[in-house]
Amino acid sequence: MTRSHVARRVAASAIVLVLVPVVARAQRGGFPPAPQSPRLAAPIDLTGYWVSLVTEDWRYRVATPPKGDYNSVPLNPAGRKAADAWDPARDEAAGEQCKAYGVGGVMRLPGRLHVVWLDDRTLTIETDAGTQVRTLRFGPAPTGVSDWQGNSQASWDRMEGAMGAGLLFGGGGFGVGNTGGGSLKVVTKGMKPGHLRKNGVPYSADAVITEYFDRFDLAGGDALLVVSTEVVDPTYLAQPFWTSTHFKKQRDATGWKPTPCTAR
Amino acid sequence: MIPHTTRTRRHAVTVVVGLFVLATIDVRGQAPTPAPSPGFDLSGYWSPVLHEDGMDRGAGPEIGDYGGIPINEAGRLFALSYDPSRLTLRHHQCDGYVAPYQMRALGNARAWEERDPKTHRLIAIHWFSQTFEGKRTIWMDGRPHPPAYAPHSWMGFSTGRFVGNALEVQTTHLKQGWYRRNGTPESDQATLVEFFVRHGDRLTHTVVVTDPVYLEEPLVTTTDFYRQPTDHQNWLFPCDDGEQVLGRAPDDVPSYLFGQNPFVKEYRTKYKLAAVGHLGGAASGQPEIVSTLAAAGDDPSLERPSRNAPATSKAAPVEPTDGNIHILPVRGNVYLLVGDEGNIVVQVGSEGVFVVDTGSGARAAKTLAAIRTLSDKPVQFIANTSFLPDRTGGNEVLRKAGADLSVRGTFFSLQFRDAGVGATIMAHQNVQNRLNAAKRPADALPTDTFLEERRRTFHNDDAIEMLWQPNAVTDGDSLVHFRRADVIATGNIFTTTQYPFIDVAHGGTVEGEIKALNQILERTVFEHQGQGGTLVVPGHGYLSDEHEVVEYRDMVVIVRDRIRALAQSGATLEQVKAARPTADYDTRYGATTGPWTTDMFVEAVYRTVRR
Repeated sequence: MTRSHVARRVAASAIVLVLVPVVARAQRGGFPPAPQSPRLAAPIDLTGYWVSLVTEDWRYRVATPPKGDYNSVPLNPAGRKAADAWDPARDEAAGEQCKAYGVGGVMRLPGRLHVVWLDDRTLTIETDAGTQVRTLRFGPAPTGVSDWQGNSQASWDRMEGAMGAGLLFGGGGFGVGNTGGGSLKVVTKGMKPGHLRKNGVPYSADAVITEYFDRFDLAGGDALLVVSTEVVDPTYLAQPFWTSTHFKKQRDATGWKPTPCTAR
Repeated sequence: MIPHTTRTRRHAVTVVVGLFVLATIDVRGQAPTPAPSPGFDLSGYWSPVLHEDGMDRGAGPEIGDYGGIPINEAGRLFALSYDPSRLTLRHHQCDGYVAPYQMRALGNARAWEERDPKTHRLIAIHWFSQTFEGKRTIWMDGRPHPPAYAPHSWMGFSTGRFVGNALEVQTTHLKQGWYRRNGTPESDQATLVEFFVRHGDRLTHTVVVTDPVYLEEPLVTTTDFYRQPTDHQNWLFPCDDGEQVLGRAPDDVPSYLFGQNPFVKEYRTKYKLAAVGHLGGAASGQPEIVSTLAAAGDDPSLERPSRNAPATSKAAPVEPTDGNIHILPVRGNVYLLVGDEGNIVVQVGSEGVFVVDTGSGARAAKTLAAIRTLSDKPVQFIANTSFLPDRTGGNEVLRKAGADLSVRGTFFSLQFRDAGVGATIMAHQNVQNRLNAAKRPADALPTDTFLEERRRTFHNDDAIEMLWQPNAVTDGDSLVHFRRADVIATGNIFTTTQYPFIDVAHGGTVEGEIKALNQILERTVFEHQGQGGTLVVPGHGYLSDEHEVVEYRDMVVIVRDRIRALAQSGATLEQVKAARPTADYDTRYGATTGPWTTDMFVEAVYRTVRR
C-alpha cells in the first residue's frame, strides 16, 4: 500500500467519523430545523397552576418578620440602613403596598402561580399573592414603563448550548447526544425598587435579577418547578443574593385566591 | 496488484458501508431510542450558599422551629421530646449527618467522577462534604439497590441517571437522623429523589424526601452551591467520643416528657407564631398557613399525643417473602442468613460451622442447604441467644445434621456413646430449663450450658464470647460476640422491626433490656463518624451498627421514663395506655395486631417499672 493509499483511507475514515454523528442525529430528527417560536421550541412545559411549598425560610415567608431581622441576606451597610428604616405605614401612605410583591420578592411569597403563554413569544406568570402579573418576553430585551415586575427577557437555556458543542458534532459532540432538557432563563431589569422580604429588606432599581426555571417530573405524575434566583444589586447587596424556590404542580386552579398587596 | 480504479471503488464502498452501518447505531453504541441525556460534569469544588435557612444551617435552629416541615404527629412529638443534651451522650457525640441534611449543611463539597479505565464509561459520581466528612457515592452503572436486610448508612445507597438537564438520584438505606438540627426526625425508612442541575457555576440541588414514619407528605428542599475555582485544602472533620459527663447514669437519655418542653413556648412567644404553624405539618408549608396563622391562637394541645387510635409501623418489611434463605456476607467468615423468621448468623472455617440461632425452623432444611453453600464442614456449634421459638426452632434439624468432632475420642465419649454425634448446642442454663419445660425434643436442647456471665470459645481463628444478659427479653438471653470479625449477634435484645419483646412471664424486664442494650454499646467501636466498625446483627431486621442500637436504646429509655413518670403519678395501666407514651415511635415500631402489640409492650414496661 502506498502513502497515497494510506492517506486516502485516513481521509475516508475521517469523513466517516465526522459524518456519523450528523447522520445519527439526522435519524433522530434531522438537522436543527428552521427556528421555531419559543412556544413551540419549549423544552419543558411550565404552564398551569403551581403551588408554593414553603419549607425553607419559613418564618420569614409565612409572616412578616420583625424590622431589622434580615438574617441570611447579604446586605451591605446601605442595605441594612434601608431595612432598619422600614416603615410600612409610610409605604401604605405612598400607595406602595406592593414593594414585597415585585419581581425580587413575589416568588418567595406563599401563594400560587398561573403560567400561561400570552402568545408564541410571551409567557406570563400570574401570582395570587398580591395579584401580580409577570411578563416574560423572548427575543430582544424589552423596554417599557418601569413597574414592580420590571422588564423580563426570557430564553431557553438548553443543555446542548451549555455544553458548547458545535453543529459539526451533531450538536453534542462524541459521546454527547441531544437532550430534550433545558431551563427557562429570565433576566429582569428596570423594575421599581422593592423588598426581598416583607419586612423591608431592600433591592434597588439598579438590581439585575436572573432566574432559571426548571421542571422535574416525579413518579406518580407529580411535578416540581424550581426557580433559582440571583439578585445582583450594587446599591444594597454586598454580594449576589441566591435563593431557590420550589412549587408543586396542581391539576387545576384549586386554591387560587388573588389577594391584594399588603405592606405589613 | 489491484488496479487503481478498483481500489478507489473499494474505498468508496468502504465509506458507504461504513456510513450505513455506523449511521444505524447511536453514536454512543447504544440503542438509538430513547436518547439518554448526555449529562454534565459535576466535578469540582462547590460551596453552599447560606442565603436560605441561614440560622438553621449555621448556628442552628431554635427549639420548636419545625415550620414548613411536613412532619406527622409522631415526628412532631419526637421533636418536642428531643433534648439537645442528647448529643452529649457518648454514642451520639460523633453522629454524622444523613444525606438530606448533609446537602444543606455548612462546609464545602468536592465532586469527582469515577470512570472505567478502558471504556471510560461513567461508573459513579462521588460527592464529599467537608462537614462530618460525608461521602456519597452515586452509582451510575445501573446496579440495583441492596436488599432490605443490608446495612444503612448516613449517606444511604444512591443510584443516578441523567434525565433532561438534571442528574436524578434515588437513595435508599439511610440511617435515622434529622431534617433540622433541633430534633426534627428523619427515619431510617426515608428515601430520596434528588435532582442536580447546573447553570454555569451555580448548582441547584433539589431533594424530595419520602418518609412514611415521620412525614405526612414528601419534604422538598432546594439548596444552592457555587463553584469554587480552587481547592481550599480543608476537608477533614475529625471526631471522637472523648467528652465525658461524669456521674451520669448509663440509662440517662435526656428528653422532655410530652408537654414539658420549656423552649417551645419561648419560641412561640418570641416570634408570635401559632403552634399550628411553627410545629410543622404539611399544612404549615401551604400558602393557606398565612391566613391560618393570623387567625389561630395558642394551642398547646399539639404538644401532647392526640386521642387518636395508636398508629402502626410504616416501616418496610425486611424479611424476604419468597420462601428462600438469603445470605448476606457480614465480615470475614461471618454471614447473615435471613428468611426463616429470625436472623441466623453463620461463621465458617476449617474447624467447622458455628451457628448463632436457628430461626423458626419452618425452613430449616433450606437453612442447612444455605450453610452448605458456605462450607462443606459439619455444623459443630449452635449458640442460642434465647429459648424463644424464633431463636431455637431449627435446633433439631441443624443439630442432627452436624457433628462436634472435638469431643469424639475423648474420655467424654467413653461415657456417652453419642458424644459428638450432632452439633453441640450452647446456651445459658435458663434456655435449657425453658426448653425442657416446653417439652421440646432432646435434640433441640442445649447440651453445653453456662450459669455465669460468660461462655467463651476460640473457633475458626476467632474469639467468640457468649455474654449472658440477665432479665432482658427473658432470663436466659445472651449476646454472641465474634471478636476478630467484630460482629455481635444480639438475638431479640435488639431488633429493627418492633418494640423489644419483653417477656415478663419468662423473666424479662425493661431495666434488664436497657442494661443489655448498653452492654452492646460497651462493646461496639464505630469506624468513622458514628457508623461502621462493629457490626450488629439484630434478632430481626437489617444488619446494623452501633447507631441503630443507640437509637433503639434511646427509645426504650425514653418510653420507660414516660411510663415510670405516669406510674409514679398513680396512673393505672389503662390510663398509661391512653396517654400513648409511645406515640412518637409507633409509626416505626407499633402494632395493634399480631404476637407483640404496642399495648403488650407498654404493659410489660408498666409492670416492671412498678416493681
